[in-house]
Amino acid sequence: MSTMASTDAFTIAVSSGPSALHVCLAGDANMNAVDQLGHSLTDVHGKAVLAGASEVVVDLRQLEFMNSACFKKIVTWITRVEEVEAGARYRIRFLSNPKIHWQRRSLHALHMFAIDLVSVDV
Amino acid sequence: MALETNPPSIHGAGPEPTAVAPSTPSFELVFRPSVALITIVRRFVSEFYSRVIDDADVAGRLALATHELLENAAKYTTGGETYLHVDLDRASGAVTVRTRNRTDPARIEVLVRSFDALSRAADPSAHYNSMLRRSALQAHGSGLGLARIRCEGEMSLDLVVTDDLVEINARGSIPAGAQS
Repeated sequence: MSTMASTDAFTIAVSSGPSALHVCLAGDANMNAVDQLGHSLTDVHGKAVLAGASEVVVDLRQLEFMNSACFKKIVTWITRVEEVEAGARYRIRFLSNPKIHWQRRSLHALHMFAIDLVSVDV
Repeated sequence: MALETNPPSIHGAGPEPTAVAPSTPSFELVFRPSVALITIVRRFVSEFYSRVIDDADVAGRLALATHELLENAAKYTTGGETYLHVDLDRASGAVTVRTRNRTDPARIEVLVRSFDALSRAADPSAHYNSMLRRSALQAHGSGLGLARIRCEGEMSLDLVVTDDLVEINARGSIPAGAQS
């Protein structure tokens, strides 16, 4: 099953696997994308908890940029995961693109924010 | 989204990013902001940095800082116009990114509080991490931009307010050997 939403320059696609949800963000996560991203991540969280997923994989390899308002939506999502009971909590794994240089610093910040929940694949 | 605004005017440069003097690559933009235009300017700025800085990571963090400053200025301007100035001093390796816009008293109050918090936080990473935690609880706005610039962009920040005119300067440095 998969869902997809987009603005002019931003897309978010969600698909389900056997033990993980996959979220693919692409394009430019700017001021226009903030609400869409927030709603989609709320939806992803609900699905992951309902399905008992052990992991959500977030593919950023085609994400050109993310502004701080969108970044906040990711942080809010991570905070929601932290609030889930320990046994039902899922991990978040980001797939990054080393050629898109902001990702290294921003994802490091997310990893440090929730070191037990967030990992980053380069 | 259609551009609602005038195209950016580039002072002292042609359509391509051009050094005004060999020792100080720089540009200035004055534009009437829109989300679409901010993205265009960010791409232009990224291209500028990648032309004058050999280190892609440094160019990337400067582009991020410039975008955050610009987006905040454009979002809160009350005068319609937003001014952006970038210059790199090859001799010293210093880089300055400056935005200037008119805004309302409530926004100025928020900025003054944010800069006060920045000045009291000695460790940019710890401050950013604490701002991330705080931002998750905020219903509106992220409040992350300045902390992100200081931590991820590795830049210092200062604020100058003159009546309703707000100027923010972000200053950083380019490591020796990273300039093209």
